[in-house]
Amino acid sequence: MILADQFRPGTFVDAFRFMGDNLDLLAHKTLEHMELSGAALGIALVLALPLGVWLGHLHRGSFVAINASNFGRALPSLVLIAFGLTILGIGFWNNTVALVVLAIPPILTNAFFGVDGVDRDVVEAARGMGMTGRQMLLRVELPLALPLVFAGIRIAAIFVIATATIAAIAGGGGLGEIIVNQASYRLAGVVAASLWVSFLAFAAAGLLAVAQRALSPRGARGG
Amino acid sequence: MVRKHTRRAAKAAFAIALGVPLVLGGTAAASHSAAAKKPAIIVGTKNFPEQFILGQLYKQALQAKGFRVKYKENIGSSELIDTALTSGKINFYPEYTGVIVQVLAHKTSPSTAGATFVAAKKFEEGRGFTLLRRTPFYDSDAFGTLTTTAKKYNLKTIEDVKKVSTKLQYGGFPECQTRITCFKGLTDVYGLTNLSFVPLSGISIYTALDQGKVDAGDVFTTDPQLASGKYTILTDTKHIFGFQNVAPVVSKKITKAYGLKFAKTVNAVSAKLTLKAMIAMNKAVIIDKQSAAAVASAFLRANHLKK
Amino acid sequence: MTPGASGPVIPNFGHASSCVTQNRFFCTDWFRAHWDDTLQPALFEHIRLSAIAVAIGFVLAFALALVAYRVRRLDHPIGLASDFLYTIPSLALFQLLVPITGLTVTTVEVALVSYTLLILYRNTLEGLRGVPEDVREAARGMGYTRTQSLIRVEIPLAVPAIVAGLRIATVSTVSIATVAAFVIPEGLGRPIFVALSTNVFKTEIIAAGGLAIALALTADGLLVVLQRVLTPWARRQRL
Repeated sequence: MILADQFRPGTFVDAFRFMGDNLDLLAHKTLEHMELSGAALGIALVLALPLGVWLGHLHRGSFVAINASNFGRALPSLVLIAFGLTILGIGFWNNTVALVVLAIPPILTNAFFGVDGVDRDVVEAARGMGMTGRQMLLRVELPLALPLVFAGIRIAAIFVIATATIAAIAGGGGLGEIIVNQASYRLAGVVAASLWVSFLAFAAAGLLAVAQRALSPRGARGG
Repeated sequence: MVRKHTRRAAKAAFAIALGVPLVLGGTAAASHSAAAKKPAIIVGTKNFPEQFILGQLYKQALQAKGFRVKYKENIGSSELIDTALTSGKINFYPEYTGVIVQVLAHKTSPSTAGATFVAAKKFEEGRGFTLLRRTPFYDSDAFGTLTTTAKKYNLKTIEDVKKVSTKLQYGGFPECQTRITCFKGLTDVYGLTNLSFVPLSGISIYTALDQGKVDAGDVFTTDPQLASGKYTILTDTKHIFGFQNVAPVVSKKITKAYGLKFAKTVNAVSAKLTLKAMIAMNKAVIIDKQSAAAVASAFLRANHLKK
Repeated sequence: MTPGASGPVIPNFGHASSCVTQNRFFCTDWFRAHWDDTLQPALFEHIRLSAIAVAIGFVLAFALALVAYRVRRLDHPIGLASDFLYTIPSLALFQLLVPITGLTVTTVEVALVSYTLLILYRNTLEGLRGVPEDVREAARGMGYTRTQSLIRVEIPLAVPAIVAGLRIATVSTVSIATVAAFVIPEGLGRPIFVALSTNVFKTEIIAAGGLAIALALTADGLLVVLQRVLTPWARRQRL
């Protein structure tokens, strides 16, 4: 169902005026949005990151890792949100589960390839130095895999934050509630909420970049 | 020398790559409007099943009489579809007379259905549109709850809600919050301060009621779910919901261009839309999961408005 | 049938099975009964919307990539624009376009093409840039002009990356096209929105959702085959 509101360059000005007039509404919706996105991303990290890293370390299950991303991409977010609602009813979990399913593939695939793709010579050298598998993973492979791992997390984060807007049609709240509601908030409100979503996504990417830099070993920070 | 040419070529290629779809779109639109002599009939509908049925009924009946009709379904609430109408994106849609008077014209509700129709027609005619004949059936908003909830708080009329001590969640389409024929009427006219509004942007009020997301909500009097007994409507003693027969809002350009045959075709359909007929069609689409197009077609055929 | 002097005839519209009225998980009777009037049209509309978007996106992306291949300075701004575009929820982008392009297929296509364009552009450009310098030198040494080198050497070698991009773009387009039903009543998103708005009608959601997923996977599979056909020399590598 949509719109027909007039769209002029002035709409962007109106959007900023909307932000000024509705700061508490936007803040409230942003909090809901972050709760949903954060929970989904957190759960996805717990499920996919260790698995991807471990499989990469063992150099096993590349089929799963490659096709996880392909399969994940074939799952339309609207379909997953609808499935979530169908199976779990309205609540916190129907949307969270849907977003978790969407967030897992990029995290899993990138974690796998990050660790799996560490230069074999470096791995051999580590083994030659007498490191156990676990030491190798923690001290050598993971630090070198960090860029790709974080790239996967960043992709997942942006995707989850943008997709959480659709959850509004299934009772998910968040900034999506403004975006699907042009009737009440007019196009100016829709633009305003959309800009806030973009800002949230960039903020998340920025935070991840900071975390990546903090965790990267000094030698590998150039990459 | 080579660099300058390359850069110019690059700029040109860039402009072409981005300009091609815009130009194509523009020329397509232009040629289309130049070729048509009469303005195209563009039927729009609002965003719920009864409107889809109404849209299909009028669309198919017109097509059966040889009119060429474009169809834009599911545009949105009255506020949004009215903008579509005034900006020319559509020029025909079925609206509820009381909504025109109370929500679009911001006037108080007249005391009869006939007076409401007259007032609605007057409003639209002042803007370059007109109303064709209204339907026998009406479909107003209503204050609905689960029957168990009504029993629990002993609710019979809307005024009884005042006595409820806990805060109740009231669900509805987002636009309901600011309408005098909906939530705003409940807070302003009935003085219900113990209601908090929950906007529903994708799921129906009945799903929300069933799953406990809301305690009460905005239902429509022609909803087939009401026949099950599971839900109860509270009496609207202060008449905030108005009179809501349906009348097609049409641009005067269209009625002028297509004349009497057009109006006759549309009115013939409207005349057949009794409360019983509308509820039966709503049930077929909402409960029995038939498609609105098929239901409309069957109805038109049975009433000889379509072959 | 309800006859009446001047009242309408109300035909028997048919009753739903108990499976449907109880909203059980999946009702094959409903699926079969409504394949023709609801599901198949939605599927075909969805294929049409996606195919047009990918086709136009591919042409535009290819042109843009060729331009950026020659004029390096353009890559960074395009990259920034694409990063920003991807954070805009598709729901919002559709709404922003409607006042400009109307409640039409054009609106949907402009949005879909925009998303598709960026994936294809990036992959095509990277494919072209990935051609080793010594191969390019060899071509030049053989007397090829820049255009000949492009057509006979560089583009063919970029094909794996281009098809990989085509795979991602196609699947993403099929996915985003579900949301198009928010603007125009076309595509597989439409039955899903309708089903959500009545009583979360499970069969319709699973049918339409399943079809969308199947469509995306099928398209992906077909493109994998295309990729293998076009790059016989790369059959050893897995992408």
